[in-house]
Amino acid sequence: MLGFIKKDLLIVKGNLKTFLLIFVFYAFLAYTGDVDITFILPFLSVMVMMSSFSYDAYNKWDSYALSIPKGRENIVKAKYLVTLILITITSLLVLFLFIFLSYIKKEPLDLDMVFSTFIGNIIGTVLVECVMYPIIFKWGIEKARIAIFALVIIFVVTLGFLISKVDTINLNLVFNYLFKYWYIFTILILLMSLALSIHIYRKKEF
Amino acid sequence: MKKAIEVKNLTKEYKDFKLDNISFTLPVGTIMGFIGENGAGKTTTIKSILDIIKYDGEIKLMDKDNKNEALKDIGVVLDDAFFPEILNAKDINTIMKSTYQNWDSKLYFKYLNDFKIPSKKQIKQLSKGMHKKLEIAVALAHHPKLLILDEPTTGLDPVARSEILEIFQNFMVDPECSIFISSHITSDLEHIADYIVFINEGKILLNEKCHVLLEEYGIVKCKKEELENIAKEDYIRVRKYRYDYELLIKNKKEFKKKYNSEVIDKISLEELMVLMLKGE
Repeated sequence: MLGFIKKDLLIVKGNLKTFLLIFVFYAFLAYTGDVDITFILPFLSVMVMMSSFSYDAYNKWDSYALSIPKGRENIVKAKYLVTLILITITSLLVLFLFIFLSYIKKEPLDLDMVFSTFIGNIIGTVLVECVMYPIIFKWGIEKARIAIFALVIIFVVTLGFLISKVDTINLNLVFNYLFKYWYIFTILILLMSLALSIHIYRKKEF
Repeated sequence: MKKAIEVKNLTKEYKDFKLDNISFTLPVGTIMGFIGENGAGKTTTIKSILDIIKYDGEIKLMDKDNKNEALKDIGVVLDDAFFPEILNAKDINTIMKSTYQNWDSKLYFKYLNDFKIPSKKQIKQLSKGMHKKLEIAVALAHHPKLLILDEPTTGLDPVARSEILEIFQNFMVDPECSIFISSHITSDLEHIADYIVFINEGKILLNEKCHVLLEEYGIVKCKKEELENIAKEDYIRVRKYRYDYELLIKNKKEFKKKYNSEVIDKISLEELMVLMLKGE
């Protein structure tokens, strides 16, 4: 599996210039105060993984990888592990950016806000990728793009509906609860998604 | 007899194609050429052997029940599947040395050097020939005992093809090694194959030792009146041309003896394929 992890990380390395440019661009916007970088940066890991899936599909990597011992199970596990590595890196980048910006702007660092942003990023990104991956493994990256787009719309509309209908205080309670047990919640979602993806991939043909 | 590949009653059905109950065995220490038209079922067979697709039937590799164990000793070149093109040959070494216990970086870079493949150039920047050579270098660098090759010489010029064939012949110096190779370039197979399996529309038309095909099979050209005097069981296929007929016969010696025929041409695999498919 280490080989498959390295493969995805080498793809990231191949696109590093582009991702660094995006990072610098958003860091600049964060400095000027126009854009909330905290939300955007971790989603860079989503972009990175999507591009990795695209390269795999374009070069029919999956077919080739299945001729490697334990390819079928390790491909899926490696994708999840690389995702976790990237989410950790991008979340840490946000953390450092907060510290850096508060230093150069000479503003006090709100540790509570920084921590909740850090946790929120991890939960949000894990959730998005955990929904995406079984879809990608099932239908491939091209069809999955449409499905993911539809899911995002459904998610936003549902959230909007909930916020308008449900008492905001109740929603805050739910979010607080999630934040309190974020690690259990995240690990649970991750394991469920991984199990589903492995199940899908075991049956998949190329 | 030790078997490198044993395929029994392999069946795979798609909407518009069926691989129909095919069986063959590749003995260890031999090369099997797998020939057939486009869409005949060659790649489907190879994908089944490697578990890339699901199938009915039984496939055993290297006499092992566990396919994952067998895959450790198998090198593969697939027709159109490889590493993501953004990577380079050096990256592949980094990946594969964490994947195969037997990965030999020294041997891999020796192949890259011999094939003149730049190690830091992205795969997408390589010529088609170089791309294929890189695939072959990757397939060989973990000291496999069995090579499964889907069109490995396609897109290569004659010099490169001859280099590759020489590598395959060197690989076969070890009597424990075997090659299963599908190819359109049947002339390549004539030089190296011990067995030829000919597949058409998902069925095996022919499974024979290569030297038997090349030495015992033959082509007889004759006129219509001569054809009428030849028993149907004495030829496999007949193809009608404008002025004469071409017969594919199975045993040149017997045919010569029976019909006192003066001219029986040697047959190439290409002619055999064409006659089998176009003849009646």
